[in-house]
Amino acid sequence: MRLPDRVTGLFLVGLGAAAAYGGWLLPPVPGQPVGPNVFPLVIGSGLALCGLAIAFGIGHSFEEEEEIIPIEGGEAKAPPGKLYGLRTLLPPALLLFYVAAADRLGFIITAALIVYGTATALGARWKLSLPLAVLAPIGIHLIFSKLLRVPLPIGLLPMPW
Amino acid sequence: MLNTLIEAFGLITTWEVIIAMMAASVYGLVIGSLPGLSATMATALLVPVTFYLSPIAAIATIVAASSMAIFSGDIPGALLRIPGTPASAAYADEAYAMTRKGEAELALGAGVWFSAVGGIAGTLSLMILAPPLAEIALSFSTFEYFWLALLGLMCATLVARSSPVKAIAGMFIGLLVSCVGIENPGGVPRFTFGFTDLFGGIEPIPALVGVFAVAQVMRAMLTPEPPPIPRRKFGSIMAGQWRLTKKYQWQMTRGNIIGIIIGVLPGAGADMAAWVSYAMSKRFSKEPEKFGTGHVEGLVEAGASNNASIASGWVPSLLFGIPGDTIAAIAIGVLYMKGLNPGPTLFTEKASSMYAIYLMFIIANIMMIPLGIVMIRLASYVLRAPRCSVMPVIMLCCAVGSFAIGNNMFGVVTVATFGVIGYVMEANGYPVAAMVLGIVMGTMVEQAFVTSLIKSDGSILPFFERPISAILASMAIGAMIWPVLVWLWRRLKRESPAPATPAR
Repeated sequence: MRLPDRVTGLFLVGLGAAAAYGGWLLPPVPGQPVGPNVFPLVIGSGLALCGLAIAFGIGHSFEEEEEIIPIEGGEAKAPPGKLYGLRTLLPPALLLFYVAAADRLGFIITAALIVYGTATALGARWKLSLPLAVLAPIGIHLIFSKLLRVPLPIGLLPMPW
Repeated sequence: MLNTLIEAFGLITTWEVIIAMMAASVYGLVIGSLPGLSATMATALLVPVTFYLSPIAAIATIVAASSMAIFSGDIPGALLRIPGTPASAAYADEAYAMTRKGEAELALGAGVWFSAVGGIAGTLSLMILAPPLAEIALSFSTFEYFWLALLGLMCATLVARSSPVKAIAGMFIGLLVSCVGIENPGGVPRFTFGFTDLFGGIEPIPALVGVFAVAQVMRAMLTPEPPPIPRRKFGSIMAGQWRLTKKYQWQMTRGNIIGIIIGVLPGAGADMAAWVSYAMSKRFSKEPEKFGTGHVEGLVEAGASNNASIASGWVPSLLFGIPGDTIAAIAIGVLYMKGLNPGPTLFTEKASSMYAIYLMFIIANIMMIPLGIVMIRLASYVLRAPRCSVMPVIMLCCAVGSFAIGNNMFGVVTVATFGVIGYVMEANGYPVAAMVLGIVMGTMVEQAFVTSLIKSDGSILPFFERPISAILASMAIGAMIWPVLVWLWRRLKRESPAPATPAR
């Protein structure tokens, strides 16, 4: 997901300009010199300036390369395929799945699917991911619903407590 | 004062507080020791739980979990050469070298002992520094508050280990996020795009959970799992620590002082304290050649320093509502939520609560010694927990915790969104801590800015007229433009015929 500085910088210029324009459109408060528009205008302009500076490489020389501590005894992995990077999007996708499905399926089933999906994606075998998918949602349900009284959706599988 | 102290004792000696503190300590020790799960993440995931606790118990959990997690990050650093939290990264190599020399007990013992000493020193600084500063702060107007908040934001960008321009951009993104909602000077919907969920603004806590926890799970999807720790039996953990304390008392004191100073500085947290102290230790050591070969001196100084910064980071948080670091940023959220609004008046109106916070810090750091020893002995078992079993539980906690904050699914959407934002920012060298500070402090900065502008009738001159305001303004503006000045200077130097040398 590493993008060239020029791309991220220009994105920030666009974002800053949009923020400033959005702020400029806001209605003023009658009889008051400053209203809700001033802050977005200032921030938007600042962001756009930063974006320009980044696009032109200002400040790049300050960046330190990330230190990677080699893991002793770790085995070398085969070079991943083109779509390998998309795996990173699985956690947010599963969270959105929770939003979409929790009310219908209920907490336990949705949570079990999330745990199973995450564990499997991280390389767990079914011998680990299956019991984890069963036990973790029950444990979390017990803590949040029973002890902390968070109203978790019941759905298809109500818990006895 | 004695009455207040007794009152504070009464506040913390309830079963709720004691149990909350014990549970949070164990939780902090476990999360901090698992590589990839930072102290900030431990604290952020704890916030939904604090909703259901009394104010003092809520603060107790934050204090205990953060202090313990910063220490326990040393454990995998020493045993696996993988720091549990970024604050332990500075001396993970050194501690691991000691383990390879057969001195694992000494390295881990130094970690727990000097962390506890540092934590207590930091607490003392909080007790000594905060009241006189509160008196000065009482004379501050919105102009000073504005510059102070801006200076806090700029400090966060200056100490970032990336491009300062990117850090400033990160800060602006955070401020922009804080603009969303109807809580603005005009009370009109701003950047809500017609979504009623956005009317209340974007809560800092789901945003924090997203950038620190979800982004971490996202990173784990692509990085190989660390190797399991070999089973081993430890000898006496505390043996030799008193000898080290006497031998390296100056290094320990220096570590404490640096930790306190860096902690008080808004935006610079335990990570920075550890790096600076370790470098300082090496620079002024009588035996610098031993560093890197398994020498305990740097561990003493940096271990004391990172824990000292945790407590002193609460000074600007409690006084001005400006977080010392990301953990303090979370703590501020909890303070507001529990009606202990940060500000100088907290010291006069809620003095017993203030003393209770001091006492909790001291107790947490004393508790760290026995609990830390137990944790070190159990490390072989805890650290064997495979990442593929820990991360799914973290994911579930993110979903349920963010739902619990507002009892609506929008919190979960926020967490997911900020997970992606945090991941993309980190991958491209934009420090997420600067954005987090922007989100946390945005409302305060805007309020101070707009109120000041209304007072001055739109003129910016009064921002520079009061003496303290002028000093703070020059510092903040200086911090803002220095990257451009350094860049210009370097360019001019490169164009001149003289041989160029790096400025840093």
